[in-house]
Amino acid sequence: MNNNNEQHILQVEHLQKNYGDHKVLRDISFNINQGEIMTIIGPSGGGKSTMLRCINLLEEPTGGKILFHGNNILDPKFDLNTYRSKVGMVFQQFNLFNNKNVLQNCMIGQEMVLGRSKSEAKETAIKNLKKVGMDSFIDAKPSQLSGGQQQRVAIARAISMDPEVLLFDEPTSALDPEMVGEVLNTMSNLAKTGLTMAIVTHEMGFARDISDKVLFMSDGVIAEQGTPDQIFNHPQEEKTQKFLRNFRREQF
Amino acid sequence: MKSKTTWLTALMAIILSLFIGLHFTSNQAQAASKEPVLKIGMEANYPPYNWTQTTDANGAVPIDGSKQFANGYDVQIAKIIGKKLHRRVVVEKTQWDGLLPALTSGKIDLIIAGMSPTAERRKAINFSNPYRKSTFVVIVNKASKYATAKNLQDFKGAKLTAQQGTLHYDLIKQLKGAKREPAMRDFSAMRQSLSSGTIDGYVAEDIEYESYHRVNPNIVAVNLNKMSGFTVPADDSITSIGVKKGNTKLLNSVNDVLAGISTQKRNQLMATAIKEQPKAGSSSSTSTKKENWFMAIMRQYGGMILGGVGMTLLLALVGTAAGFFIGLLVGIVRTIPTPKSTGKKWGLKIVDWILAVYIEVFRGTPMMVQAAVIYYGIAQLWHLNLNRTVAALVIVSINTGAYLAEVIRGGINATAKGQFEAASALGMTHSQQMWHIILPQAIKNCLPSITNEFIVNIKDTSVLSIISVSELFFVGTTVASQTFEFFQTYFIISMIYLILTFSITRIFNFIERKLEGPKNYNLMANQLQVQDPKETGFEHEQ
Repeated sequence: MNNNNEQHILQVEHLQKNYGDHKVLRDISFNINQGEIMTIIGPSGGGKSTMLRCINLLEEPTGGKILFHGNNILDPKFDLNTYRSKVGMVFQQFNLFNNKNVLQNCMIGQEMVLGRSKSEAKETAIKNLKKVGMDSFIDAKPSQLSGGQQQRVAIARAISMDPEVLLFDEPTSALDPEMVGEVLNTMSNLAKTGLTMAIVTHEMGFARDISDKVLFMSDGVIAEQGTPDQIFNHPQEEKTQKFLRNFRREQF
Repeated sequence: MKSKTTWLTALMAIILSLFIGLHFTSNQAQAASKEPVLKIGMEANYPPYNWTQTTDANGAVPIDGSKQFANGYDVQIAKIIGKKLHRRVVVEKTQWDGLLPALTSGKIDLIIAGMSPTAERRKAINFSNPYRKSTFVVIVNKASKYATAKNLQDFKGAKLTAQQGTLHYDLIKQLKGAKREPAMRDFSAMRQSLSSGTIDGYVAEDIEYESYHRVNPNIVAVNLNKMSGFTVPADDSITSIGVKKGNTKLLNSVNDVLAGISTQKRNQLMATAIKEQPKAGSSSSTSTKKENWFMAIMRQYGGMILGGVGMTLLLALVGTAAGFFIGLLVGIVRTIPTPKSTGKKWGLKIVDWILAVYIEVFRGTPMMVQAAVIYYGIAQLWHLNLNRTVAALVIVSINTGAYLAEVIRGGINATAKGQFEAASALGMTHSQQMWHIILPQAIKNCLPSITNEFIVNIKDTSVLSIISVSELFFVGTTVASQTFEFFQTYFIISMIYLILTFSITRIFNFIERKLEGPKNYNLMANQLQVQDPKETGFEHEQ
C-alpha cells in the first residue's frame, strides 16, 4: 500500500463547479501527498465543502480533472464505487445509518463493498471503535447517542474501510461546544497514525497544530496555500489577513 | 384491379374462417368443461322468485362459491330444466346489474331471475318463451290516500320508486304527476322505505304484493293494468329466461322444457314459493322478545356473517400485503437515479411513464368500476372465467399498489439525503443503499400510511359486492333482505367493521412503537452484553 514512488495520492487540476450561472468553484488546483494532513479554511460560502464533495463525486464537477494515483476519476469507465471505498468521508451531520446500530454501521461497508467476512468486519469495527472510545456502545442506535459520540462512530465507520485518504467536511460544526474537544482529540490521534487526511474546518487552533499544509479558500479559488506557519503567522494576502483577524478577535 | 379484389376476398375469407374457427372451438371448449353443470344467474334476493337460505331445505340448490343455498320459483323452474337436460343446477348469485354481462361473458348459462324480456335487453341477449305472466301494481300503505287510486292521474304528488334497472321504474312515467324518486337496489330496500314513510309507494308486480302482504298486512296493491291509458309492451308483463345470443340449441331445449310445464303446475310452484319464502321475523318476534334481536340474527346468520368477516379480512390482508409489494417495486423503480448511458436513460423513462400511467389510472377511477371492468371485461374479451375471489384479490392488490407506490416513493424521497450520501461515500451501489439503508427507514416512516391503507381496504372492499364477492357488506345486505331488520343488521355489521379497524390500528401502533425502540441507551446494561461476545471473539482468534 505504501508506494513511496507515487507521492501524490490525489491531484486536483483546474476543478470547476457551477450551479447554473453561479460559479462556486472557479479554478482549483492542488495535490494531496501520501501521509499528509491538509486543512482547508476560509469564509463560509467560499466553496470549501463543495470542493471536498467533488473529490468523492457527491457533487459532479462541471470542469477540470481529479487524478487518483494518476487515473482520472471523471472517466466514465472509472470504477467509482471502489474509488469511494478508498476515499473515506466524515460528514458535518454525521449521517450514521439510523436503522443500524453502532457496530453494524461500522461493518456494513466492509461487508458490502470490501467483501470482508462477518467476523473479519466485526473485528476491524471493534478495533476502530476502541480507537475512538466508542467500543462500549456497539449495540446503541444512533438516535441514542450524543452528537460527539455519533461523530466518533462516524470516524470509526470511515477508518474501518482502511481508506487511503479520509475527507472531513466540517466535522465539528454541528456539535455543541463541549463535544468539539472529544472529536478533535480523536482526529489528532488519527493524524499520528500516518493516515492521509483532508479537513475542512473552522477550528483555527486545531488547523494550525495538526496540518502539514493549509489551503485558504475564498470566492471559489484558493487564495493562498502553504505551511501552517506561513498561513497563520505570515499571511500574504489581504483576504487571509482579514479572515484570520476576525477569528483572533473571537477566540481570544 | 381484379387481382386486388381477389386478394382482399381471400384475406377476408381467412380472417373470417379464423374468427369462426376460434369462436367455435372456444364455445365447444366451454361447453365441454361445463357439461355436467348448468349455471343459473339470479340475485337470490328477490322472493318469491329467488332468495338465499342457509340450508338446503325445501329443495334448495347450492350457490356457487359459498355455503348458502338458493330457492324460490326461479330455482324450481331451473331444477325442472336441469333435470330434462341432465345437467346439475348451480346458482351463481349475481347482482341485478351484473346479470346481463355475466351471461354475455359466459359466466352463467341462463338468467332465471324474474326478468322481463324488454326490447332493450333483447338487443343484448335472447329470451325464452315466458315462464310467468304478471300484473303491475303500485304497492302503498293501506292508510295512504293513494290506496284508493282509480286512475293514473290519482297518483299526483305521490313519491314513487322502483327497482334500479327495471321496467317498473320506467312505468312511473305513465303515472302523471307522480314524483319519481331515485330507483332502489332491491325490494327489501323499497319495503323498508315504504314502512318508514320515505316513499308513498313503489311499482312492482302482483307477486311482490302477495309476498309482502303475508308479512305486512298493512299494505295494498293498486292494480295498474286495469287503469285506462296504461300501456305495457307485451314483452314487459312477462318474465322469461335469458339465453346468450347464438346459443340456439340451449334456447330451444329451454323452450321445449317450458312447454311441458302446465299453467296449473306453474301456479302451484309459485304458491309454494310464496309460502316458503323467508319471512320477516320482525313483526312477530320483536314484539314478544325485543331484547333478543341480536341473538336472533347471530343464531340464524352468525356463520354467514363470520364467513363475511373472513372474506373481508382475507381481501384486506392479501390486498394490502400484495399491494405493498407492488408499491415497493414501483416506488423503487421510480426512484432509480437517471443513468448516464442514453439507452438505459430512455428505457427507464419508458418504464417510468408506464408506471405513472398505472398509478394515475388506478388512483383516478373508483375501485367499484375497476372491479366491474376487470371481472366482466376479461370474461367477455378472452373468455377467461376468473374465480371471483381471485378477481377480487387481484383488484384490491392492484388498487392498493397504486396508492402505496406513491406512499413509498414519498417515503424514499423523505429519507434524509445524508443517508444516501454516507452510503455512497462508503462505495455502496444504488441497490445496496436501497435494500440495506434506505428502504428499512422509508418503510418504517411509511407505516402509518400503510396502516391507513389497510383500514381503508377493510371498509372499501365492500364495493366488491358489485362482483358478488361475499364479503361482510354483501353478507349484510343478504341478511337484511331476509330478516327485514335493516337497522339491526347494519348496526351489527358496522360494529364488526369498527372492531376490525380498531384492533388493526392497535396492532400496527404496537408494531410502530416496537420499531421505534427506547430513547435512551443503557450503558451499564449493555456493557455486560458487549463484553461477552468481544471476549469470546478474541479467544477464538487466539
